[in-house]
Amino acid sequence: MIPIRRGVILPFIAVLGVSCSSSSSTSPATTSTPLFVFAASSLTKAFTQIGQDFHTAHPNVTVTFDFGSSTDLASQIQSEGTADVFASASGTAMDTLQSAPGVTDRTSFATNRLVIITPPDNPAGIASIDDLAGSDVKLVLAAEGVPVGDYARQALKSAGILAQATANVVSNEDDDASVVAKVTAGDADAAIVYTSDVASSGSSVRSVAIPSAVNVVATYPIAVVTGSTHTDAATAFLDYVVEPAGQATLKDFGFGPAG
Amino acid sequence: MALASFGAASVLLPVVALFVRAPWSRLGGALSGVGASTALRLSIEVSLAATAISVVVGVPLAWVLARGEFPGRNLLRAVVVLPIVLPPVVGGVGLLVALGRSGVVGRWLHDALGLQLTFTTAGAVVATTFVSMPLVVLATEAGLRGLDRRHERAAAAMGGSPWYVFRRVTLPMVAPQLAAGAVLTWARALGEFGATITFAGNLAGRTQTMPLAIYQARQVDPGGAIVLSLILVLVSVSVLVALGGRLTGPR
Repeated sequence: MIPIRRGVILPFIAVLGVSCSSSSSTSPATTSTPLFVFAASSLTKAFTQIGQDFHTAHPNVTVTFDFGSSTDLASQIQSEGTADVFASASGTAMDTLQSAPGVTDRTSFATNRLVIITPPDNPAGIASIDDLAGSDVKLVLAAEGVPVGDYARQALKSAGILAQATANVVSNEDDDASVVAKVTAGDADAAIVYTSDVASSGSSVRSVAIPSAVNVVATYPIAVVTGSTHTDAATAFLDYVVEPAGQATLKDFGFGPAG
Repeated sequence: MALASFGAASVLLPVVALFVRAPWSRLGGALSGVGASTALRLSIEVSLAATAISVVVGVPLAWVLARGEFPGRNLLRAVVVLPIVLPPVVGGVGLLVALGRSGVVGRWLHDALGLQLTFTTAGAVVATTFVSMPLVVLATEAGLRGLDRRHERAAAAMGGSPWYVFRRVTLPMVAPQLAAGAVLTWARALGEFGATITFAGNLAGRTQTMPLAIYQARQVDPGGAIVLSLILVLVSVSVLVALGGRLTGPR
């Protein structure tokens, strides 16, 4: 058995050795610095634009995005630690990361509010948040634990229709983008998403406002993840997001300024 | 030998790791907290329904592919096998634009018959069938092609109708391949995730099968996700062990 084991393990170690040395020998002046930015699904369109603009301003940095539910991304970063920057749709997900492995330069960079969306023909005739409690409304929300899902339930609770509306839920989606997709496909009657989703979905959805009294303001924090091997590039990206150019792009995509 | 142990280890390691990291001390709480029994029951119902439909529709399809002589047969086979190669999420998107409430056919289903597949258990069965049916078709077609046709000819010469010959001669002879294909179809159906969540959605008790429940549990309770994964592993292993060598070995 021993020769067999040695035969198996040695090449494995050799492979590990090669990958370690190659990852630690990055960033000589000639090559491009890879920057991994993990960002909330709701930031997909805005950050893709910001990433392109940032690359124009910093040609030596190549930004790669991983978009998903903030809760999901936070636990991925905790276990795998491959992110340089984390931009979250909730303070809670950022708190998770702040406890381990830690973050630096944490700052709020945008706000978002909730809105109801329906297919353009509004088959269930939704005119206000109260209509979400009506019978036979096919409502889609993000799952509990996903920031926009938790915010939506908070708003429904404030409106006093949490029980009736959650009884109408036909699907709990894994992230914000999946919720929007169920409405643009025309299968759901209504969903609660961010106002930024309406700004970037154009005429494929119709929006119904949620009154400020029951609406929720989501504040988005961004930070450099402790353990990042490219902290200079990470800080530069974070600065770009909070500076006027980044803020203008975020505004174009329907985000509000941070407090 | 070395490669074989590496192969076995690559399958075993994730399973063993699930056992190591399972929250044994709060197993009961994790089980009830993530709705394991609801998801497991739905998973078994959906996978069995998908297997039944796959056999009923897939066997005639396999027969046409094995025996039919018509132009475009190879193209038809490629299309039938496509779901094995496609990412399931592509299948889900395809089903959505075909059978969704605003889909090409789904629009008509909804307006004329008041039928909506999305967000229903039937929709989960449709998505699962789409992904898993090719396995039983391929296995049965291979069986039909390897068949000694003299028995069928003899039965036909003795006056058996084509349907009688198919039922009493052909079908019993391909039964082993059909059974193996059906088991693979069921196994694939039990693990189906992408097409289901994309087309049917994710709602406990209606469309949330075990893989979807596991995926969602990671958000709120990673330990619960491990418990659910272990249950799925145990169910799958029990069935495969019960079937034993019958799947691939000598009969």
